Amino acid sequence: MSWLLRRNMLPLHSNSLARRPLASPPPLLPAPLPSPRETHLWYVVPDQLKDASLLNQYMDLLSPCERQSVLRMNGERLQKGALLARALVRTTLARYTDCRVSPKSFKFRKNRFGKPEVEWNKYDLWAPPPLQFNISHTSTMIACGVALDLPIGVDIEEKQRKTRNNILSLARRYFSPVEVAYLRTLADLESQRHEFIRLWTLKEAYVKALGRGFSGAPFKDFTIRLEASNSKQVTGESKSDASRIVVEAVDHPGILMNRWHFALFELNNSHYAAVCMERDVKDPADRENNSLKLEVWRTLPFVEDECVTETAAVKNIIR
Amino acid sequence: MASISGTAIATFARPQFAARAQVVKGFSGLKSVSFSIQRNGFPSVRLQPAPRRFQVSCAQAKPETVQKVCEIVKKQLALSDDTPVTGESKFSALGADSLDTVEIVMGLEEAFEISVEEESAQSITTVQDAADLIEKLVEAKSS
Repeated sequence: MSWLLRRNMLPLHSNSLARRPLASPPPLLPAPLPSPRETHLWYVVPDQLKDASLLNQYMDLLSPCERQSVLRMNGERLQKGALLARALVRTTLARYTDCRVSPKSFKFRKNRFGKPEVEWNKYDLWAPPPLQFNISHTSTMIACGVALDLPIGVDIEEKQRKTRNNILSLARRYFSPVEVAYLRTLADLESQRHEFIRLWTLKEAYVKALGRGFSGAPFKDFTIRLEASNSKQVTGESKSDASRIVVEAVDHPGILMNRWHFALFELNNSHYAAVCMERDVKDPADRENNSLKLEVWRTLPFVEDECVTETAAVKNIIR
Repeated sequence: MASISGTAIATFARPQFAARAQVVKGFSGLKSVSFSIQRNGFPSVRLQPAPRRFQVSCAQAKPETVQKVCEIVKKQLALSDDTPVTGESKFSALGADSLDTVEIVMGLEEAFEISVEEESAQSITTVQDAADLIEKLVEAKSS
C-alpha cells in the first residue's frame, strides 16, 4: 500500500512497480561541531529540487511514522515540503556525528510541549554530541538550526509575507504593549509590516527555544525589543541603530531575561530569520553578553552544500 | 439539523484509513453519494464527519458554517480551488503556521461576529473544531 501511495505522490514513470534497489546515497559533507555561543543554520530551497529520484532518496531516510505524516499533508507541494523538512533535519544532524550515525538511524522524541529532540542510542565507545536543533519552514525555504548542548529556536518568514488583517490589529491582539508602541512609531505601512514580521520571527524563535512553542508561551506575556548601543530603545526613526535584541517579561519590565541571546538577519534575500539560543550561565565568556556567532549553509542534501556565512545571502545581522 | 446530521453520518461512515487515502489521491476515489444539500449548495466542499462522532446531537456544526470556515481557511492559506478542504482537514496538514492560525481566528471572528478566547483557539486543530466552536459562541451570544 505504501508504494501505491508513494507512486501517487511523486512524478515517477509508470512502470516502476518493480522497485529497483536504490543506490546508497553519496556521503554527506561532515561538519565540525558548533562552538559555544554558536548556531549553525542549514537551509534548503525546495524550488531548487528538480530531481524526483532525490525525493525517493529522502523518503528512504524517514521513519514509517514520519512517512505517514508526510503523506497526510494536503497536496503534493505540502508533502514535498514536509519530506524536505524531515530529510533536512536527519541529514543535518548526521553531519555532526563523524560518520557514525546515518541520517536514517536517528530517533526522535517530543518534550511535553511537542518540541522534537534527538533520542540517542547507547554507544559503547563513543559519546554522541549533545546536539540541540530546531526547524522552521515557509513554502519557499526550510531551515534547521543546530547548537551544542543549549536549547535553540529558529524561525523564518518570507520578507514579502502579507497579512490579511491590519498589522496594528494583529499586534494589539497578540503582541505586548511595548511592541505595539514600537510599531506605531513607524511612519509607513510597509515598514510596519516588515517590522511586524521581524518581531514575529523573534518571538517565535524565543518560544521555540523555550521549548514551549506558540501555544505554551503566550506572545502577550513577553516583550522583545531592539536596543541601540547606548541601551536606548530603538524607534522607527532610529531602527538602523539597533545593536542588540533583548527580551523581558511584561510583568517585570526593565528586568531583562539575560539567559537568552538572539540573532536577526536576512537570508537569501527572501526571508527574515531569527535565532534564539540559551546562554551558558556557567561560562564566564557567555555571561559577558558576548553575542551569538552564526555559520550558515545553503544545502541540497546529497547534492551540494555551500557555506554562505560571509556572503550576501546572510545580511543585516543584528545580534 | 439533528436529522440531517444523522443522514450524513449513516451515508459517509467509512474507516478512517480510506478517508485518508482519498485525501492523498485528491478525492478522485470518492463515490458519489446522494446527499442533496452537498450537491446543490456546496460543490467544492465534501463533508466528511469524523467517524467517532456517532451521536446525533447539537455538537456538530451546520454545513454552511463548515463551508464558510473552509472558505476563510482557503483564502488565508492561499490554497488553489482544487485543494480539497473539508471539516476533517487539520490546519497543520494544510500548511498553516502560527501566524496563519491567528489570522484565521481573526477572520472567523470578523465573519461570525464572535470573540474567541486564546485558550479555546489553542484547542482547534481541524476545520470542524473551528466550526463547532463558532456555533457554540454564536449560540451563546444570541441566548
